Amino acid sequence: MTDATPDHIDGAAAKGRLDRLRAGLKRRHAKETRFKWYGRLAIAAAMIFLAILMVRIVAQGHTAFYTHTVTVPVYMDPARVDRAYPQGSNFEQLAAEQQLKRWGIQDDAAGDASRQMKALFSSELKFVAADLVAKRSDVIGETVPLAVPLSDEADLYLKGEISKETPEDQRRLTDQQLAWLDRMQAEGVVGSHFNTALFTNGDSTQPELAGVLGAVVGSALMLMVTALIAIPLGVGAAVWLEEFAPKNKLTDIIEVNINNLAAVPSIVYGLLGLALFINWMHLPRASPIVGGLVLALMALPTLVIATRSALKAVPPSIREAALAMGASKTQTVFSHVLPLAMPGVMTGAIISMAHALGETAPLLLIGMVSFVPGVPHAIDQPVGALPSLIYIWENASERAFHERTAAAIIVLLVFMIIMNTAAIILRRRFERRW
Amino acid sequence: MKFRIFRSAEDQTGAGAADPTESVRMGGQVLPEATSSKAASAVEARLEDATPVSGPTVVATPPTGPIKIAARDVSVFYDGKQALYDVSLDIPDKTVTALIGPSGCGKSTFLRTMNRMNDTIAGCKVTGRIAMDDEDINDRSIDPVLLRARVGMVFQRPNPFPKSIYENVAYGPKIHGLVSAKSEMDGVVESALKRAGLWEEVADRLQSSAMGLSGGQQQRLVIARAIAVNPEVILMDEPCSALDPIATARIEELIDELRERFCIVIVTHSMAQAARVSQRTAFFHMGRLVETGDTEDIFQNPRERRTLDYITGRFG
Repeated sequence: MTDATPDHIDGAAAKGRLDRLRAGLKRRHAKETRFKWYGRLAIAAAMIFLAILMVRIVAQGHTAFYTHTVTVPVYMDPARVDRAYPQGSNFEQLAAEQQLKRWGIQDDAAGDASRQMKALFSSELKFVAADLVAKRSDVIGETVPLAVPLSDEADLYLKGEISKETPEDQRRLTDQQLAWLDRMQAEGVVGSHFNTALFTNGDSTQPELAGVLGAVVGSALMLMVTALIAIPLGVGAAVWLEEFAPKNKLTDIIEVNINNLAAVPSIVYGLLGLALFINWMHLPRASPIVGGLVLALMALPTLVIATRSALKAVPPSIREAALAMGASKTQTVFSHVLPLAMPGVMTGAIISMAHALGETAPLLLIGMVSFVPGVPHAIDQPVGALPSLIYIWENASERAFHERTAAAIIVLLVFMIIMNTAAIILRRRFERRW
Repeated sequence: MKFRIFRSAEDQTGAGAADPTESVRMGGQVLPEATSSKAASAVEARLEDATPVSGPTVVATPPTGPIKIAARDVSVFYDGKQALYDVSLDIPDKTVTALIGPSGCGKSTFLRTMNRMNDTIAGCKVTGRIAMDDEDINDRSIDPVLLRARVGMVFQRPNPFPKSIYENVAYGPKIHGLVSAKSEMDGVVESALKRAGLWEEVADRLQSSAMGLSGGQQQRLVIARAIAVNPEVILMDEPCSALDPIATARIEELIDELRERFCIVIVTHSMAQAARVSQRTAFFHMGRLVETGDTEDIFQNPRERRTLDYITGRFG
């Protein structure tokens, strides 16, 4: 607008300019509102999927946390119980026959009724009775009440997961067995309680006896090895690359390769571990040491990248301040830069550890998918791990393993939540120091 | 003699080069010792040749008193790109020397050569000789860590460590092993904070975070941190540019007090500040030191056209 322009034209132009601004403003606001809604939708979608996942897992798995026990009086028949070798006695048959007799049911010649009755008790009965006899031989000739878990199928029926409406040939319990279970419940000899076996036992072929403890210990041992190897190595490598390394072709190549390694499928690390640690170094197959090494290799690139970005985020003014004070490079890094980067480093470490905890594919290749009963206690023994246990249970044919799969997933998630909570608490501590 | 021309690199090579960059490159190869012998006629010849941009440094008034730092033909290259051309400057002890000039003129670059902070920048190369008490600070035998204990630095933005006030001040004496006993350290911290004029304000919260202080307090804390190791020289890179006028006035007061004990070099964008706090001024332009002399002289009677233009606000 030149000075020569009359005032009224100037006014009109100013008004037109304002109108244009206003029109644009409306568009800009609309855009902003739209974007806000995209954000809300994205969050909502994520929350819905998370909720579905959680609800499904809990719905499927919560029944695994309680189980049914039946209390049966067993007459320790001196004719059938071997005092010297109680493990050899057929306690299950004994208990089944006595139960039938109590109810006045005649066993047929083929022993079909007692076989069906026996199938209602867990095979645990045998061990409970044998233990008792071994400990107190005076029980022979007496009637003792034995509290034993019901078999997996019987347990499922009492949990309402096997329906009477299902045709008999499509379920594993016969009509007669269902009737017996109903009768037991009516007599009040069946009780439900928290499934402690799930947390105190190792894996088992019997679902009612199978537990996650072996896998939890295996995972914990493995994670310990991973953390001990990956964290010092990864943080050290990142500090060197970020703070000390000269910027040249070689370090460029290293950097590119680290970024590429982070994208390598984890199963490839499993193959590497198989070739390197088992076939070449002859470390024991399926042991936490091998698993930990493989997971450490897998976690390293992520850890290096996370640590480097945490170091990059430390303001250069802090480095300058320390250097200008006459601190050496090492003093600068270890007393100023690294402590400031610590929250980021720890987040990186925990994320990569959580990732390692849930990793399954490499474990399959180093033999961790095999059935390992019992609880491991050394890092050179074969162990199971939580993710591979989930994989094994999911593939099992017994229906009772399915609810336990979901329960194992819950345990794994709780494990991770505990780790993440620890990370957050530690991070708060570090941040609040100043 | 009122005018004294620093001998520059071209003189020794005898090449009255038309291209100033070319001659600089050649000059960089010459040993610093060689500068001491040269003919006055060569100096005059060079004066006539000089284009306004690459003219020799005008020394309005030579410094009086002992020289703390003597820079000769200092050139700085960042990745081969030259940022500073043949700067020769004498910095007297127990004096505030202000480096002024428009943005990107090389004054901060020059400041950072004096404690070898440029070493920390990849691809940075410094040529020429900088002598502190007649000792070449770029010599192989000089450890930059030791040098920085003798030459403290204060930056543009206050950059205290995110630790307690006490730890900030105690850091220097601690890493240099100057103080070991806790009681002695308490005394060092107290006297440094007192000299920086911060003691009254923080005496009752020495253990609280330095990040809780105001910008001006932080900058004084940083000065306290620098003087806690009793350096000989303090370099200040625009120490007041992030501060309000009141905090600035306090820092300027402090600089004036510190002058009695230290050799202070301050880079500033504020002509008024240079006039207030400094006794010597050096004017940089486009990577060259244009004019230097007593501050009063430079501001009241500049010899160089560009100096006059800059201090009167015609550019920069």
